[in-house]
Amino acid sequence: MRNLIIFFRRYFNFFLFLLLEVICMVLVFQHNNFQRTAYLSSANAISGKLYDKYNNVQYYFHLKSTNDSLVNENMRLHNALLTSYDSVLTAKGIKIDTVRQYSDDTLHRVIGTQIRRYEYFSAKVINNSINKSVNYITIHRGSLQGIRPNMGVISSSGVVGVVRSVSDNYAVILSMLSKSNSVSISARLGQGKEMGSVHWDGEDAGYALLKDVPKSAKIHKGDTVVTSGFSALFPENIPIGYVENIAVGDKASTSYTIRLKLATNFFNLQYVYVIENLLKDEQQRLEDSTYKLIK
Amino acid sequence: MSILLRNIIRFVLLLLIQVFVLNEILLHQLVSPYLYMLFILALPFNLPRPVLMLMGLLMGLSLDMFMNTPGMHAAACVFIAYLRPFIINILSPQGGFETTQKTPSMTSMGVSQFLIYAAILVLLHHTIFFSLEVFGTGNLLYLIMKIVFSSLASLFLIVLYELLFFSRK
Repeated sequence: MRNLIIFFRRYFNFFLFLLLEVICMVLVFQHNNFQRTAYLSSANAISGKLYDKYNNVQYYFHLKSTNDSLVNENMRLHNALLTSYDSVLTAKGIKIDTVRQYSDDTLHRVIGTQIRRYEYFSAKVINNSINKSVNYITIHRGSLQGIRPNMGVISSSGVVGVVRSVSDNYAVILSMLSKSNSVSISARLGQGKEMGSVHWDGEDAGYALLKDVPKSAKIHKGDTVVTSGFSALFPENIPIGYVENIAVGDKASTSYTIRLKLATNFFNLQYVYVIENLLKDEQQRLEDSTYKLIK
Repeated sequence: MSILLRNIIRFVLLLLIQVFVLNEILLHQLVSPYLYMLFILALPFNLPRPVLMLMGLLMGLSLDMFMNTPGMHAAACVFIAYLRPFIINILSPQGGFETTQKTPSMTSMGVSQFLIYAAILVLLHHTIFFSLEVFGTGNLLYLIMKIVFSSLASLFLIVLYELLFFSRK
């Protein structure tokens, strides 16, 4: 027993070192789980406030480009006001939050109702990184203001990422610029409608890769790639990027790998929109119960 | 100024520089400089090792809080805090360093000694940190290049910082 105590005292430093490293490793690997604590991230009160203050200064320098992008977006929205409604053509689906369509003739019959499917929340970006392998964006809007984990996030020009963790007044978004297999966005070609998935390769914050597009697709440089709307995170037809070049690469492979120029400019992101899919739970439940049937 | 006060100020200053200046600078995907571990490099010579490691943990966790990387910086910091006394032992001359200066710096260790000391610890820190950061997405060449280029950039910043704050004898 005495020898054991002597042994421990002699190598106390080393054991302390091991203990501390183990604590760190636990933190690292806990972080990799999807559910994670918010107190050690930039969503907590101290760093959130500091980033907020700092952004007040930094924001001023981006005023001009922020204004431009907001004006452009307004123009686009004026052109497409009804796109966030899911159209249902029977009278049975009437819910509280609906828009009714009437026929133009004198009878003025109800010919359809549109159920609200997506709700958008605007949020101010207070911290953003683009030079790490996994990048995060902190926004000043949290659970008290209706943000929950796993909501999609877009900017005025394209897809940004997915909400990962939330505190009372702040939320952390896992940016699309994340070199990880878990971050992929279901995409399709704007013209040909062929499906694929978008990953970031960790190299340049302005570009990403579109994979798994069948070789039968006709692709031209500059084509738009948009969200497919299958993932329940994003509505359809939100731009992800524009085709930059097409690598054939492996001739035996049956799919293209396409380099995209991202639609969102991550370098000066100031405002984002968080999207709540009001029908997500319903879709999820139905899909889950179907999978169970097959099993 | 007492050593304690000086270290507290350095802690806050380095943290702010790291978060609000260096993290905003985007040179290249391979170059992301870190200056904050200078806090650990510049802790007094006679600090006991457990305290050194706890200081490393504190600094690392504080930075992790800002960068959404729980544990990664902390692991790297504890690692270099643990190895620091070995490196100092190897580099110190026969009689130990001058006792008038209590903290490692260019004036107390000599320019070349300090450079070697900083270079070794910075390289170790970056090796641990970037290995953890790109964990699993294994691209070895990319990792090595990132470690080397970032270490060079960090070392450059450390020398600049030393020249700014420690030039007077």
